[in-house]
Amino acid sequence: MHQRSNINAEPVLHIKGLDLSYATAHGRAAALTNISLSLAPGESLGLVGESGCGKSTLLKAIMGVMPSNAAIEGGQVIFKGADLVAGSKEAWRKARWAGISMIAQSALNALNPVRRISAQIAEAILTHKSMPKSELRARICHLFEIVGVDPERIDDYPHQFSGGMRQRVLIAMALALEPSVVLADEPTTALDVIVQDQIFNRLRALRDELDFAILLVTHDLAVVIENCDRIVVMYGGMIVETGPTREVVRAPSHPYTLGLRNALPRLGVDYEPIAIPGRPPDLVDPAPGCRFAARCPFALPVCRVVTPDLLPSTPDRAARCHRAGEMETLASLAGKVETWNRVGDLANAP
Amino acid sequence: MGRYLATRLSHVVITLFAMMTLTFFLFRLLPGDPTAMVISPALDPAAQEAMRVRFGLDRPLVEQYFVYLANLARFDFGYSFRTSGPVWDLIQGRLVNTLLLILPSMTAAYAIGAFLGAYIGWHRGSRTEAGVILVATILQSAPLFWLSMLAILFFSIKLDLFPTGHIVSPGSFPEQTWRMYLTWDFLHHLALPFMVNTLYQLCFPLLLMRSTMLSTVGEDFIELARMKGLTERQVLFRHAMPTSLLPLATTLPMILGWAVAGSVVIETIFSWPGLGLLMVEAVTQADYPLVQGAFLLIAVLTVTGTFVADMLYGMLDPRIVYR
Ligand SMILES: Nc1ncnc2c1ncn2[C@@H]1O[C@H](COP(=O)(O)OP(=O)(O)OP(=O)(O)O)[C@@H](O)[C@H]1O
Ligand code: SF4
Ligand SMILES: [Mg+2]
Repeated sequence: MHQRSNINAEPVLHIKGLDLSYATAHGRAAALTNISLSLAPGESLGLVGESGCGKSTLLKAIMGVMPSNAAIEGGQVIFKGADLVAGSKEAWRKARWAGISMIAQSALNALNPVRRISAQIAEAILTHKSMPKSELRARICHLFEIVGVDPERIDDYPHQFSGGMRQRVLIAMALALEPSVVLADEPTTALDVIVQDQIFNRLRALRDELDFAILLVTHDLAVVIENCDRIVVMYGGMIVETGPTREVVRAPSHPYTLGLRNALPRLGVDYEPIAIPGRPPDLVDPAPGCRFAARCPFALPVCRVVTPDLLPSTPDRAARCHRAGEMETLASLAGKVETWNRVGDLANAP
Repeated sequence: MGRYLATRLSHVVITLFAMMTLTFFLFRLLPGDPTAMVISPALDPAAQEAMRVRFGLDRPLVEQYFVYLANLARFDFGYSFRTSGPVWDLIQGRLVNTLLLILPSMTAAYAIGAFLGAYIGWHRGSRTEAGVILVATILQSAPLFWLSMLAILFFSIKLDLFPTGHIVSPGSFPEQTWRMYLTWDFLHHLALPFMVNTLYQLCFPLLLMRSTMLSTVGEDFIELARMKGLTERQVLFRHAMPTSLLPLATTLPMILGWAVAGSVVIETIFSWPGLGLLMVEAVTQADYPLVQGAFLLIAVLTVTGTFVADMLYGMLDPRIVYR
C-alpha cells in the first residue's frame, strides 16, 4: 500500500489522555492509561500489543459502547472536532456507524443468528438515515459486491455463510454508511492464512477507493507492516511506542517492541521465534515505575521507581522508556534468546 | 420441509392410535366392576343384563375394541354411565369452559412472564429484579391448590370482591348457553381463577427468560447492535428479546401438560365446570366412558399441540433445517 502524505492534515479522530477503568472484584483495573493518538483522514494506523493489553477496550471506548462495569475516568475522544466524551449520549450514538464504524473481532458471534443479513445491514443504515426500500436493497447488494460476496445471498442467515464470508459481510456492514473512520478489531483471527490475505487485500483496495481512515488492531506485527502507515504499540493499557511503521520496525525505541519484533519471521536467518517471558502486569494495583520493568531485560533500578513518559524522539516518533536513546545498542542483545531467558529466570526466582 | 411434515404427521397419527389403544385396555383392566356403579345390584338380573347389552359390555373384549375404534372415528365416545347421555355432548360444553379460562390465562402468563423476565434480565442487578425473582420463586414453589384457596379466603371471603366459585351465579342460567359468556357475571367469576392461574404459571417463563437474557446481554451481536447506533430500546426489542425467546419456545410442548394439570386443580377448587372438573367428577363416580373420553380429548390436544409447537419453533429459529 502506498504511504499517505496527508498525515499532517487535521485529524479526523483524535484521542487525548484517555483513562478507562473496569470495576472488578479486586478493585478498579486501569485498562487504559493516558492514551493519546490521532488518525488523519484516510490514514491507516496499526495497534499492536499482547492479549489483554487493552486494544479492544480502546476501540469500544472510541465507539462509546463499553461493558457496564467500565468507566471513562478522563480524556477526550474528538471526532471531527467535537469531544464525544463531553457531549451528549445521543450525539455519540449518532456518530457511531455513520462516522466511526467497527469490524468486530468475532465474525461468528457478531451477527444475530436469527435475523437475515439484509435486515441487519438495513437496520444500520436506517438508524441513521431514511432510504426507500428499493434503494436500500440496491445499496446492500452493492456492498456485497464490493466485499466480494454474491449479492444473491443478502437474504441469507449468518449460519449459511463460511467464516471468511461472514467476515466480508461484517466489512460490508461497516462500510454501509461510508464512515470516515473504520475500527477493525483483529478482523481475521478466526480465519486461515489464505482467507486472511484475501480479506486484507480487499480491505486495502477498499480503503484506497473509499478513503476511510482505519485503526487496525492485531497482535501480529507482520499484518501491521503490510497494511499500516503508522503503528502504535500498547503494553499494559499504555502506549509504549508510536511512529511510522517501517521506522519503528527497523529501529524500535522500546524493549517491548524489540520483543515483538523477535516473533517476526526473518528471511535468510536461522529463524527461531523468541517469546517474551512473564505475564501481563497487574492493572488493579500496578507496581510503581515502568509497567514493563518486570519483564524487561534492560531494566535499571530507576525503572522500578520512576514511570517513564511517552517522549518524542523525532516529530513523528515517541517511546515510553528511560533507555530509549540507547536502543540501537540494546537491539543486538534483544535478538538473543539468552537475553530474554535471563529475565524469565529472574522473574521466576523466589 | 414437505417430507419432514409428512413424517412428523405420521408420528402424530401413530402416537394418537397408540394412546387410544392404551386407553381402551387400561380402562378395561382396572380392578372392580365399573358396571356396578350404574347398574345397581338391587335391580333385577334381567334389567341388569339389559343395561349390559345396551352399553355393549357383554361382548368379547376384542370386539368391544373394534367397535370402540369405529365409534371414535365418528366422534362417538360412548354413553355416560350416570347420565346415559352421549359423552361427547357432556365434554363439548365443558371443553369450551376450560378453554375460556385456560387459554387466555396461559397466553397472559407467557406474554407477561416473557416480557417481565426479559425486562429484569436486561436491567440486571436492579432492586426490581431482586424483588421480582423472590416473589416468582416463592409463587412457583407453592402448590397451586394452596394458592387458590388462599386467594379465595382473602379476595372472596374476607374482601368479598369475587365469588368463591362457579362460572356464573347459581340459577342464573339453568342451561349452558353461549349467552352466559357475554355477561359481567361470567367475567366476575372468571377473574379470580384467571388471575391465580396466570400468576402461578408466569413464574416459569419469567425465570427462564431472565436467565436466558442474562447470557444474551453479553453476546457480541448485542454489542454490535449498539455500535450500529441503535437505541437501547431497539437493541432490546429487535435483538435481545427475540433471540432470548428461543429457549422458552422449546418448552412450549411442556406447557400444555402444565396447563392440563393446572386446569384440573383450578377447576376443582373454583368449582369451574370445565374438563378438569368433569374428569375429577367422572373418576370419583367411576363413570368410565366419560373419564375415557376426557382422557382421549386431552391426549389429542396435547399431541397436536406439541406438533404445532415444534413447527412454530422451526419458524422462529432459521438454524433449524427440516429434513
Ligand atoms: N468487562 C470487563 N471487566 C473487567 N475487566 C475487563 C473487562 N473487559 C476487559 N477487561 C480486562 O481489561 C484488559 C484489556 O482487555 P481487552 O479485551 O481490551 O484486551 P485486548 O488487548 O483486546 O486482548 P485480546 O488481544 O485478547 O483481544 C484485560 O486485562 C481484560 O482482562
Ligand atoms: S523504562 Fe526501563 S524497564 Fe521500562 S522498558 Fe525502558 S528499560 Fe525497560
Ligand atoms: Mg481484543
